[in-house]
Amino acid sequence: MLAGLCGAAGLLAAGMLAAADVEQGEVVFQKCYACHSVVPGETGLTGPNLFGVVGRAVASAPDFEYSAALERLPAQGYRVWTEAALDAYLRSPEDVAPGTAMTFVGLPDPDARADVIAYLAAARDGRAEE
Amino acid sequence: MFARALTGTLAAAMLAVAAQAQEKVEFFAVPDGARPHDVSPAPDGKVWYTAQRQGALGILDPATGEVEQVPLGEGSAPHGVITGPDGKAWITDGGQNAIVSFDPDSREVAVYPLPEDTGYTNLNTAAFAGDGTLWFTGQNGIYGRLDPDSGDMQVFDAPEGRGPYGITATPAGEIYYASLAGSYVGHVDSDTGAATVIEPPTPNQGARRVWSDSQGNIWVSEWNSGQVSRYTPDSSAWQVWRLPGDDPQVYAVYVDDQDIVWLSDFGANALVRFDPKTETFTSFEGSAPGANVRQILGRPGEVWAPESGTDRLMLIRTAGE
Repeated sequence: MLAGLCGAAGLLAAGMLAAADVEQGEVVFQKCYACHSVVPGETGLTGPNLFGVVGRAVASAPDFEYSAALERLPAQGYRVWTEAALDAYLRSPEDVAPGTAMTFVGLPDPDARADVIAYLAAARDGRAEE
Repeated sequence: MFARALTGTLAAAMLAVAAQAQEKVEFFAVPDGARPHDVSPAPDGKVWYTAQRQGALGILDPATGEVEQVPLGEGSAPHGVITGPDGKAWITDGGQNAIVSFDPDSREVAVYPLPEDTGYTNLNTAAFAGDGTLWFTGQNGIYGRLDPDSGDMQVFDAPEGRGPYGITATPAGEIYYASLAGSYVGHVDSDTGAATVIEPPTPNQGARRVWSDSQGNIWVSEWNSGQVSRYTPDSSAWQVWRLPGDDPQVYAVYVDDQDIVWLSDFGANALVRFDPKTETFTSFEGSAPGANVRQILGRPGEVWAPESGTDRLMLIRTAGE
């Protein structure tokens, strides 16, 4: 499964997602936890629900009001949250979406990004618990 | 633990001066990409801000527009800054998962990491209680206290888990915090550390920040509801006002020395002045779209608001109110 994700990623080093650590990704996700949930249907936080975000259309979570910066992303080529798109965004959200309401400064460590993307994918597939 | 501050300087230009109502509005540029999150007037007339994206404490001299930034450490991403009774800057550093202080005289940066077993807490904001203890919030669901003299630190699990955001001390030294995800106000017993949940009248209102007025009433900025509310501890009474406009999103609240309430509204891209006596709102437009003011703080005659989206600090001179 994760090897398949890697093939689509492009920006991630070959094998990085295949070797990603879902459990470590859950630790990395603590940096996202205050504003995001991976529990299906849990809304009302300041960020959109991330259950199923891998492969989801950008700025498409129901019942969430996105910033203009995120609303602009599809027109800039970021139509779907592929692993590559998530990798670029998580590296530096401000560089991908200038003016984003999310103040998170980003994850410079590519291993940390691979781990958290693997965790998000696992959460979608029911292989991770929040 | 202690590191000598390395500093650089940057001459920054005052961008614009505009007059509106009886207040005078000015904007000051900070380094591109600094993304100033919080601000606090310093004892020497300068102004501190957290350069969240550059891992530094910024120091602006309003008299000249000059800015320098003091690096806070590896991985730093500072969120809040306040000025302590000791004259130091006290910083909640989410990137380092630590409380950080900066001494403007010695230029020493001191890092107080949270206990290792606490895990990542997403540190948010701090306030000093009447006894000199620093209380702080972590958005992942904690609040805690630090004795600045001994360095002793305690961390408490917050009621209802994630959410603790803004925090304030009343003139009597009582500590209150807002839980954004929990949509409540917490009152902390400074002796036991226990927090009592106080529910605002509007469900799921998204209490984001809190500030005390001179009488110890707690003002709350409500992110989800677009309201500002006031809690009176003596009577447990609430009063609520909705901000003008179609879709107000109220992020920050601060009450100045004249008990005028200042709010930031992402929906209107404006700083908003609210006079509780006349129940009137006055709006001050951001310097550019997406100004995103996330905190407000001041000193007599000055209200400061960092525009995190434009890399500018907004100053409203209020003298004469």
